Amino acid sequence: MIRLIGGEMPGWNEDRPPAGGALYGYLADRLPAGARVLVAGPHEHALIEALAARTAVTCLVRSQPEAERLDAAGLDVLCGTLSKLTEADRWDAVVAFDGVGRLCSVEGPQYDWAECLRALRNALLPGGLLLLTVENELGVHRLVDPAAATAARTDDAWRSLGEFDDSMPGSPARLTDRLAGEELTLDWLGAAWPSPAAPTLIATPEALRTGPADALAAAAASAVATAYANRPALSDPRRLAASAVRGGIGAELAAAWLVIAHRAPRPAATPALPPVLLGDGQVREVAPGPDGAWPLPAGRLLEELLLGACLRHDLPTVRRLLTGWMAALPAATPDNVVVAGETFTRLDPGVPARADVLRGFASTLLTGGYAHPWPAATDLRTLTAILHGAAGLPGDVPAIPPGEDPPVPDSRREQQEQMRALRRLLADADARAELYEREIAKRDAELTKARVQIATFGGTFGYRMAKLGYGVARKARQRLRKRA
Amino acid sequence: MHHANHFYGHAHVLAEYCGLDPEHPPRIEGYVQHGWNVVDGLGLGTPYLPGKPIFVWSEQTRRRAWSMGRRQATVIGAPFLYLLRFAPPPPDPATRAGTIWYPFHGWESQQVKGSHRRQIDEIMAIETGPVTFCLYWNEYRNDKVRAEYEKAGRVICHGYRGYMWQDTDIKFLHNQLGELRAHRRVASNRLSSAVFYGAAAGCEPAVYGDPMHLEREDRAVAERIRRQWPELHGERPEPAAARRSALAELGEDYLASPAELRAMLGWSLDRAAVPA
Repeated sequence: MIRLIGGEMPGWNEDRPPAGGALYGYLADRLPAGARVLVAGPHEHALIEALAARTAVTCLVRSQPEAERLDAAGLDVLCGTLSKLTEADRWDAVVAFDGVGRLCSVEGPQYDWAECLRALRNALLPGGLLLLTVENELGVHRLVDPAAATAARTDDAWRSLGEFDDSMPGSPARLTDRLAGEELTLDWLGAAWPSPAAPTLIATPEALRTGPADALAAAAASAVATAYANRPALSDPRRLAASAVRGGIGAELAAAWLVIAHRAPRPAATPALPPVLLGDGQVREVAPGPDGAWPLPAGRLLEELLLGACLRHDLPTVRRLLTGWMAALPAATPDNVVVAGETFTRLDPGVPARADVLRGFASTLLTGGYAHPWPAATDLRTLTAILHGAAGLPGDVPAIPPGEDPPVPDSRREQQEQMRALRRLLADADARAELYEREIAKRDAELTKARVQIATFGGTFGYRMAKLGYGVARKARQRLRKRA
Repeated sequence: MHHANHFYGHAHVLAEYCGLDPEHPPRIEGYVQHGWNVVDGLGLGTPYLPGKPIFVWSEQTRRRAWSMGRRQATVIGAPFLYLLRFAPPPPDPATRAGTIWYPFHGWESQQVKGSHRRQIDEIMAIETGPVTFCLYWNEYRNDKVRAEYEKAGRVICHGYRGYMWQDTDIKFLHNQLGELRAHRRVASNRLSSAVFYGAAAGCEPAVYGDPMHLEREDRAVAERIRRQWPELHGERPEPAAARRSALAELGEDYLASPAELRAMLGWSLDRAAVPA
């Protein structure tokens, strides 16, 4: 059933996909059965329907066509703008995985982030739970975005504030404070990658601080790698996400924060969540065992270890890593292998095998502009052949299998670097051509001289005398003609 | 690429290591460092073609080359170490005796200045066993200088370095290795390739005596070398530390496999037919 509450947008469809994915589905599934739930903002139908199968669900959307679609699926719908919710509209839980950016329609007041939070808090019954996603304006997805949020010109960007919404919290700590300011007590907070709309990795700040930093950095890199395959970016988000996690600011630079908070009094049960959630299809709960050991492959991502060793020009380490990799997992891409000592482990066994992983790494070195021990090998074929040899593989030049390189982020910084590299190559080629020309001119002069000498001293004595005499006679005739 | 690649039969040793014909090494797509130096690995006045690799012996030399604007320096290690990889195994250490002494040498464009006589007296006062004087071809061909050394001991020469691909003694390093392995000590009055090779071949290295000097030489460099590698200087340096230092300068940990070296030098099988 649809209830039009005012401010609804007839004929309007959202530009961007709704919030969704396996991890949001998993979190919604943790809500106690029997609770009355408001799903505020656009969410994937699968998520809403799964929740509605367990408990009473009301949806709040601004788009009237979307409201009609939800109604057709048999759901209870409020259609309109957030400010039209009344004191009578109260629920046991409010789910806002899409954040608060699409709750206000074009009609009526345009709430900033804090005002939206207050409206959502007001929609909770005492003891009610709020499940909210907060986009991080300084998150990795923003830092690598070639377009500024404030420059958006899509139909839904009628009031695109980006980082200029001063009411938004800029860190997990400030988010906690803002919630407290609205009399909401934080039960759980997770940092999410690769995007607020569909996270595939969520980890608590505590896990990021005290857990296995290398494994979590690898997981963050892997999460953004999938999301940014062939997508334009300012710089490689994999390196940024991983180094932020390793550097201890993973939560601060995550794409979003997910909070579960309650309104007093404390509810009888709040969802019990593990410190790390992984999953693009299948959800994996990750928590340390009773002995404190994490069920994540120990060690550092092979690709990062290789790049680090290349940058240090540490050839013995580069060769050891390449050799170990080719012996243990020769068909796994280096961003899917973690190395602990001499042990090479596949991070995600679901990633399909590839026959050209060495070429892929050569391509990473070249296109990424990384310094490495073979700087004169500027073409993919030569560098691949060198890596093949450095990995201790038999044979000379491996046939490069047809096919494309693995999809990677399409980074502007790397494009710039490629341009610089090409300019360097051209300048070197020009300089070489000039030197070759000078050398040829020198050799030509030497050759001419040698020919004269050969002509002068070659042949029998009689022949040379006759030739000399002929030459003298010719010169004399020329002189006589000139005088005449 | 450049005739210095053939000096001392370096290209020939590398070709043999790579399983190619050692008599006719293919053209190397770059410049192989032909002797130990404290600059960028290139010989003095080598006309460098921009973009081509300089194959240097050690990581330290690569860093120095980078700081001098040479971006394409690539560490491969000294060809002498490649020779050690495929040379016959060393003889019983008990067969080693005496010292092989390499007096500081000149070359076509710079001759050594100083008293050979005084140097010989100093050497004979310090060395306890028989001394073999190994002269560079430049001094060996000088009858007067050679005669001075012949008065004091056995005098040898490993061969001619080569010039413009002509008269190269392609067994130069093989001869040197054979001689080094016959001696217990290697010494010189200047830290040089020969001292490093000796250490790699199992001799106890030493650098002492009047360093002499070249015509128009910048002597500050020689002093810098003494400051930077004190562990190799003195009449009897501590052998283990001296050997470690020598092997680092030769790039012991950086040697490439034959397949990797072929790819680096431009000797992949489809290109190996290009003559030098």
